Amino acid sequence: MAEKKKQLGDRIIEIYDLRKHFGHVEAVNGVTLHVNRGEVVVIIGPSGSGKSTLLRCINHLETPTSGQIIIDGVDITAKGVDINALRAEIGIVFQQFNLFPHLTALENITLAQRVVRKRRREEAERIAHELLAKVGIPEKADAYPDQLSGGQQQRVAIARALAMQPKIMLFDEPTSALDPEMIKEVLDVMLELAREGMTMLVVSHEMGFARAAADRMILMDEGVIVEETTPEELFTAPKHERTKQFLSKILH
Amino acid sequence: MTELTSATPELGKAKKERISLADVPWWVVIIILIGIYVTFAVLSNERYIEAFRFILPGVKITMQVTVLAYALALVIGLIAGLMRVSKNPVLYALSTLYVEIIRGLPMLVILLYAGYVISPAIRDATHRAITFSDLQEGIIGLAIGYGAYLAEVYRAGIESIHRGQMEAARSLGMTYMQAMRYVILPQAIRRILPPLGNDFIAMLKDSSLIALLAIPDLLQMGRLFVSRTFRAFEGYNSVALLYLVMTLFLSLLVRTIERRWSVG
Ligand SMILES: Nc1ncnc2c1ncn2[C@@H]1O[C@H](COP(=O)(O)OP(=O)(O)OP(=O)(O)O)[C@@H](O)[C@H]1O
Ligand SMILES: [Mg+2]
Repeated sequence: MAEKKKQLGDRIIEIYDLRKHFGHVEAVNGVTLHVNRGEVVVIIGPSGSGKSTLLRCINHLETPTSGQIIIDGVDITAKGVDINALRAEIGIVFQQFNLFPHLTALENITLAQRVVRKRRREEAERIAHELLAKVGIPEKADAYPDQLSGGQQQRVAIARALAMQPKIMLFDEPTSALDPEMIKEVLDVMLELAREGMTMLVVSHEMGFARAAADRMILMDEGVIVEETTPEELFTAPKHERTKQFLSKILH
Repeated sequence: MTELTSATPELGKAKKERISLADVPWWVVIIILIGIYVTFAVLSNERYIEAFRFILPGVKITMQVTVLAYALALVIGLIAGLMRVSKNPVLYALSTLYVEIIRGLPMLVILLYAGYVISPAIRDATHRAITFSDLQEGIIGLAIGYGAYLAEVYRAGIESIHRGQMEAARSLGMTYMQAMRYVILPQAIRRILPPLGNDFIAMLKDSSLIALLAIPDLLQMGRLFVSRTFRAFEGYNSVALLYLVMTLFLSLLVRTIERRWSVG
């Protein structure tokens, strides 16, 4: 808890009145959100409330219907933005890992370094080995994804994203496809990242992680932010009825 | 298909051995026995020796045409297949037009078009700057024809790869084409190896149609032999045998490659 008094930097993400509609489905329906450099924001909310869509808009996997997203001073919703350069600066970790099954763990981590960052093989591999050590599986460099447990796969996926040296990391329910005994190993890696000062947007219902790492909690429902507060306040004194209902569901 | 066998090398090995024992392809054994018998019968028969001598150069042409046309068809098919999955409406429309028209035509018609319509048209339009030999016409005709089928094979392969793969690649900053090249296609090609192999064999057989363009391939040499000697029995038996040797060898090869790739 003491660490929460950490120094936060300038605004690195500014989102203004973001909307994303799929036909008649208003997945994100007017979200305004600011995130400071080094901040860890945990997003919770019921299924279909637009959490994934919000994250996916931030690295442009979805094109917003309207609104503005400014990443580190660059308006990424403006025309003519180099979307590939932007994406390399924003790591995303998916619920389903999405490792490349035809490549080893090491190759998963070096591919984009070489193709996008144009690093030489030796350098990319050195970075990959360092990151595999950091996520706790240095011995799995030559393993293929189908030879790894879910928890190990997700840690490789985190290492793969980190290899691009992103400014921001997005996590979309990174532990919800994992067996319970593997959740902790992934959360530990994320906690470590948070401690190092990475800016993180995390969709997760792991309340232990939220308590330990979140500077701010956001509850989304029906495409809008319903409540925005600190973890302590959210758990002790939720303001809105919908928040209370939702918390009672996930906290049993 | 891809199993967890390679986790431990011993396990993988044991499995491979068991497969080769349990899975003896008896039809291959029978064909080999028949083949040995036929070879003896043929080699001890003056008339067959004569037929083989005459026809054998056609085998080289058939192989040449098939390999070159298939290589070209792989390239055409890849390009058309990529266009078929493209979000660009012009590329999509052009490739769909190509695929639908070609697949709606008999291969023989495509070959006659290549030989008697397109090739002369190009020759005349370029004032003889560009001309094609009969052989080139045959190769191009086959390649254009098979390119359409291979385009659909590629498309199906690409579409069979989970959406999350493209998203993961793009989210790392790769361009669409980089993601295709390094992430999607390597996975897709493994999956489409069996149909690609089968299409190669089909093309070997369809290459006999170029006999119509007066190219001295295996079939054409057989026909020449028969028209000169009136020995249809020996002539066409030899032709059939030579095609069978090639297609059976290839289908064994395709199976072997398939097994290798699906395990590794
Ligand atoms: N590609 C898409 N096409 C159509 N509708 C979509 C698409 N993606 C999301 N939606 C819809 O948008 C709404 C919000 O989806 P989203 O995935 O953002 O919710 P979520 O909060 O992440 O839910 P969950 O907790 O189940 O992951 C849902 O109603 C969903 O069906
Ligand atoms: Mg989601």
